[in-house]
Amino acid sequence: MSARQEAAISTVRIAKRFPGVHALKDVSIDIGRGEVVGLIGENGAGKSTLMKILSGVYQPDSGRILIAGKETRIESAADANRKGIGMVFQEQSLLGNLTIGENIYLGAERQFVRMGLVDWRALYAAAARQLDKVSVNVDPRMRTDELSFAARQMVELAKALTLEDHSAGHLVILLDEPTSVLERAEIDVLFSRVRALKSRASFVFVSHRLDEVLQLADRVYVMKDGEVVAELATADADVATLHRLMVGRTLQADYYYEPLQRPFQDRVVLEADRLSCGKAYRNVSFKLHAGEILGIAGVIGSGRETLARTLAGFSPHTAGALRVAGREALLATPADAVERGIGCIPRDRRVEGLVLFLSVSANITLAALAELTRFGLIDSGKERDLAEAWVSRLKIRTPSIRTLCLSLSGGNQQKVVLAKWLNANARILVLDHPTRGLDVGAKEEVYQLIRRLTGEGLAIVLTSDTLEETIGLSHNVLVMRDGEITHRTEAAPGAKPRQIDLIKYMV
Amino acid sequence: MKTEDLRKWLPLGTLVVLVLVVGIVQPSFLQPATLLGLAGDTAVLFVLATGVTFVIMLGGIDLSIQSMASLASVVVALTVARLGYGAALLAIAIGALAGLASGIVHVRLKIPSFIATLAMGGILFSAALVISKERSITLDESGRAYQSWITGQSFGWPNVVIVGLIVLAIAHILQAHTRFGRYSAAIGAGEPAAYASGVKVGKQKIFAFALSAGFAAFAGVILAGRLASGSPTLAAELLLPSIAAVVVGGTAITGGVGSIWRTLVGALIISVVRIGMTFLGVNIFAQNIVFGAVLIGAVAITIDRTKIPIVK
Repeated sequence: MSARQEAAISTVRIAKRFPGVHALKDVSIDIGRGEVVGLIGENGAGKSTLMKILSGVYQPDSGRILIAGKETRIESAADANRKGIGMVFQEQSLLGNLTIGENIYLGAERQFVRMGLVDWRALYAAAARQLDKVSVNVDPRMRTDELSFAARQMVELAKALTLEDHSAGHLVILLDEPTSVLERAEIDVLFSRVRALKSRASFVFVSHRLDEVLQLADRVYVMKDGEVVAELATADADVATLHRLMVGRTLQADYYYEPLQRPFQDRVVLEADRLSCGKAYRNVSFKLHAGEILGIAGVIGSGRETLARTLAGFSPHTAGALRVAGREALLATPADAVERGIGCIPRDRRVEGLVLFLSVSANITLAALAELTRFGLIDSGKERDLAEAWVSRLKIRTPSIRTLCLSLSGGNQQKVVLAKWLNANARILVLDHPTRGLDVGAKEEVYQLIRRLTGEGLAIVLTSDTLEETIGLSHNVLVMRDGEITHRTEAAPGAKPRQIDLIKYMV
Repeated sequence: MKTEDLRKWLPLGTLVVLVLVVGIVQPSFLQPATLLGLAGDTAVLFVLATGVTFVIMLGGIDLSIQSMASLASVVVALTVARLGYGAALLAIAIGALAGLASGIVHVRLKIPSFIATLAMGGILFSAALVISKERSITLDESGRAYQSWITGQSFGWPNVVIVGLIVLAIAHILQAHTRFGRYSAAIGAGEPAAYASGVKVGKQKIFAFALSAGFAAFAGVILAGRLASGSPTLAAELLLPSIAAVVVGGTAITGGVGSIWRTLVGALIISVVRIGMTFLGVNIFAQNIVFGAVLIGAVAITIDRTKIPIVK
């Protein structure tokens, strides 16, 4: 397709910047009438930003948006709804304590108000008609928290379809990772509904699951680093092609400073022996050595997230044994982990990594204040010297050590978190998506630091957004699927495993 | 950055302006004796507000302080004949224990602090009513003799002002120079990050509640000494001015940002406003209208609400 007049909605050279990140660069896409368009890319590729611009949450810095060929501005989420754009969220937006009907018409009850009172009978009748559109046969008076996850997804879709009633034009429905928590059978149901609704609406389908994108979409846009790098009809594509386009560059050895990847030491600093944690993961065994980077690969739900949380003291294991420096340990709280020299760089550094409203120096010393305390008082001179030393050693760019962490860029914030753990003498670091939200330059700096620190004997457990990063940085890689380790491989410099060889153990 | 600086110095500026305004209307107000009297009258409010500052800093609230202070005054009045100076220590110990209980309820049972301390306040108020047999108990001659460390003078200064300054020094050191103070600020500003850094969040919180109620009991002891009596309603009407003092001083009600100095400035502002109203002939029972309005005004000014989409 792609003749402009047929497009339900188009973006023309849209750009968006955030502090430190160029999130979208000249993105132009067309969504045809009645078309299902897939949108794929790694985390940080710009998919979510694009979705948020289309649904009115963000405004683009430059570029144009055309709806049915006419240039327009999407002022807000409500404005997007008026223009026929609806969104089915990845984290579901339904309120569990309200009924299906109340959820579907949340904020739009006015149409049912008679003399100041809501005509509930009319509202539920209308809600039932919406549920019919997606062929879900449940009582709209049920509370949504009584529904299965899949049924709730359908209710979200039904809610998005209410836009038909009060927007004149064609509908565009944005599906953001709608299948990530659905079972196979439920996905089939969702897909058949989407296909059946193609006469009423266009869909944008964002997903990590490439096979599903191929199955459902007519056409696919591939995004990378804020740009659309490919557009192709699904008829001409296969998973391998999409994956290659998504990952983009062929591995450059020096991007991850592979020549600096030194052999690790013989000393075991952490050992997991048939470790299990509830239903999240089972029988996980590995040894981590001083100076080693151990990457854990796996999709969402593989158990690797919980495993990383266990090592950092957030979710204690329920069976098996964990030995830190040879001594058995149960890490019931992060304090237990910190005491044993384990630090965690969390995925959301602004929540668990830093106290944003404290100064750089207070954040750096937070995990090791005891060492600065004499006779119960914090030695502020010593604290200042320490903080200054870390700022210069890690090249943290900050106006002063008294600056609030709030005003630092993402990369420098991440370095403050790193300084905190190094200052606390951590010998093991759990890196949970350490480069999320960082731009390329900041990433490289983090990689370089990681190399330097492991050279000095620091051991690292790494879970990363991208397989490329996991393979590029690690000495050894564990692959997990459904809570178990399915594959182990070395990743020596110059002899890194190929992504495709690991993916087959992941899915 | 400029508005940040403005916010920081606004309370002190307000205090200076208020003192000057009252001084112009009533020149005798600026005499040293009057100012020392003002400082002495502020002591009880300052000690109460200081205790609750510790809790507010880490993001909680303590609504039991006025009941705690009243109970402490009753304990002093009932036991001073037998225990002498020990009566004050007993009252403070009861305070610390009550605070410990509030803290444990809040932390271990995960009950919001305003509920835990609202309930604790009810318990303490009733306890005071029961043990005092619903009466105000006046200290007799011998009991009053044990209060000279509050009511007397040393080196030409009222003892109560000196006591207040000692409380200021201790509380300031606790808040600004110890791990407890730093952890409190970290918890108030970003509890998940503090927890992830190995801070024992529960322990710090429980300690803060014990401090708050202990300081409240101490305020009750001072009040009993100054009024030479104990009563289950002696410190009633002091909760609102105390919290107003903390917030007017510039400590964020949401936690993380604040200091004992700010609370001192806030308590002095409340005192000067109170005296100013007396000069202006405002009905004494109408004063809480003003304090309520001042509290709302201060929170409205100190919180940058553009960054907070939802307030609960």
